[in-house]
Amino acid sequence: MNPRSILLASHGSDGARAAEEAALDLLGAGGKLFHLVVVPDFWKGMTGDDWLNNAVTRARFGKYVEDQLAREIGLEVARLARAAEQRKIAYENGVSLGKPADCLAEAERSGTYDLVVVGAPRPKGTPGLRSRMTPETLVRALKTPLLVVPHPG
Amino acid sequence: MVYTKKHPALLIMGVIFVAIAVLAGTGAADGIIGFLKAKKYVGEMVGMGYAFGAIGVLIGAWHWWGKHEEGNLDYYMSSIAGGIFILLIAMVVRWYGAPLVAVASKGLGPVMGAKYLHDVLGLNYVVLGILAGIITVNVFGIPKWAENGVRLSRLGLKTGVILLGTLYSLAELAALGKLSAVMVGFFVLGAVGMVLWLGRRRKIPNSMGGVLSAGMGVCGVSATVAAAPVVQAKSVEIAYTIGTILIWGVGCMFLFPVIGHLLDLGHIQFGAWAGTGILNSAQVAGAALAYQPDGIETLKVAEIFNITRVLFLPIIVLWLAVWYVRLEETTAGPQVNVGTVIFEKFPVFVLGFILMFALSSTGVFAPAQHYKGKYFDNDIAAGKLLKDEQVATLGAEAGKLQRADRKEALASLIQNRKVMTIDDETVIRGIFNANVLSKDANKVLKTATKVVRHTAKKISKFRQWITLLFAFGLTGLGMQITLAAMKQAGGQPLVIGGIVGTTKAVLSLIVILLFVSETI
Repeated sequence: MNPRSILLASHGSDGARAAEEAALDLLGAGGKLFHLVVVPDFWKGMTGDDWLNNAVTRARFGKYVEDQLAREIGLEVARLARAAEQRKIAYENGVSLGKPADCLAEAERSGTYDLVVVGAPRPKGTPGLRSRMTPETLVRALKTPLLVVPHPG
Repeated sequence: MVYTKKHPALLIMGVIFVAIAVLAGTGAADGIIGFLKAKKYVGEMVGMGYAFGAIGVLIGAWHWWGKHEEGNLDYYMSSIAGGIFILLIAMVVRWYGAPLVAVASKGLGPVMGAKYLHDVLGLNYVVLGILAGIITVNVFGIPKWAENGVRLSRLGLKTGVILLGTLYSLAELAALGKLSAVMVGFFVLGAVGMVLWLGRRRKIPNSMGGVLSAGMGVCGVSATVAAAPVVQAKSVEIAYTIGTILIWGVGCMFLFPVIGHLLDLGHIQFGAWAGTGILNSAQVAGAALAYQPDGIETLKVAEIFNITRVLFLPIIVLWLAVWYVRLEETTAGPQVNVGTVIFEKFPVFVLGFILMFALSSTGVFAPAQHYKGKYFDNDIAAGKLLKDEQVATLGAEAGKLQRADRKEALASLIQNRKVMTIDDETVIRGIFNANVLSKDANKVLKTATKVVRHTAKKISKFRQWITLLFAFGLTGLGMQITLAAMKQAGGQPLVIGGIVGTTKAVLSLIVILLFVSETI
């Protein structure tokens, strides 16, 4: 397989980085990489059952989390953009809020890609947040071939 | 932005409320109400059913057919749908769900001594309301038309705490305040220190240690929300911490009442333990009402602990801010202004609580010396004075008393045919509780104390409103507990949180069993 255009879902975890590496290797110079970062929708419920704080504190927390996520995404985007540039790969990125599988399927529908690349969920016992990607939803929704890159751990 | 959704939901909920009121009021639902043994709720069904039904129908019609324009009216009116949504779930659980569980549980027979399964597990309208909220958000999701109003649950809880201020006497508040300051002070500071110490030993980042210590030490998610920006927590650290705290808090809310029943803790003991050992303050209230669903004595104790905890929050946030800046040796973090932190983090509703307590103490709602809404007043009608034969019964047994204060109180009662002072009343209660006189004499004493004890109608109403506001607020908060957030629990925060949370719960229980009695 010699894909020229890849849709990559990555948020910087070890599994996602393995997927990034595979996508860059597969594309080579002249290829096009679209990097999708999904902010899982669990963040919408991340103030949980807080009721003691006033609106100022809650708004400050919401703004802080948004800024923090943006900062963390910015670092990931900058890192991958540099790696793509070094290999002369055209790089674009996008950020979506929602369920990862739905967001990835939506991104696939709005572009033309030869391949979709994701990392495998982390093996049990490996540190990290629980993967929110639901493979069955993803596989059913995609019309483009999907490559799941094994976790390095 | 226009917040009001053109949707028939509010109108339908209004019709449901009216239908409940009509069925209960006309007696058409007597069969099912009788089966559920829910007759005590008929008044609520009719009163609240018509009141909130009318609101739902009128505003619901405007939601569905009216013209909505951006502005304050649209913003505030849009929240009614969510508020009525929470209220409908909370009240259906209170009027039908919880009684049904009780009937089913009683059908199984006692499971622990004379206690039924629902008593032991605390499956009453409060816990079932929280569960209904959790199921709603995780299975069906919060409908778009209700999203803006679900936040009203916080207002409900804060109003409930403010009204709670009317139910304390000065002596009670002083005693509970001292106890809570000692317990909360020791265990909050201890838990914060223990998380920071364990965090360093297990080599977690300072920002993670900081945010986790606030959550585990003070008041769960609320403290995490307040502390995260101060210690510059990463997103993954916030997710881990909140997930850990939510799992721990929900688990404790169900576990604490069971343990409390097993150990047969008194209301003060359980309220003090829940107020110290449970992380999230909402779940403290949930556990207190789960432990004592038909009274609010446990809630009163637990809420004083909650208020004390939340008063510690600005202090802990300041501590963490200083600790973080010193440890990270950074000036890149946010500048900490002591005044701003205290001003922003100070819970304003506590002032409302104090104001209501002060008003209550002046005698606006009940005579100032009231205790639990009851007060002493011996200005009674002549027909309520003791009759000759009752006086004779007491006179014949006066010789059985040994203690001077008891002899004096009884002599005064016999002479005046009524209890003359509040101190006498306390002593006379002591006589019949001690069971030293005959059954007939005790009956006379009880009658004599009953006629000089009056229930303040306003306080009685406050108690009812407090219960309803907490049921409403906690059901709404249940709607904000997502499994997706809880599933983020893991890693070192779960390990450290588990160790510190368990230590705090066990040690506080031991301290309470050893040092806290049932009389305040």
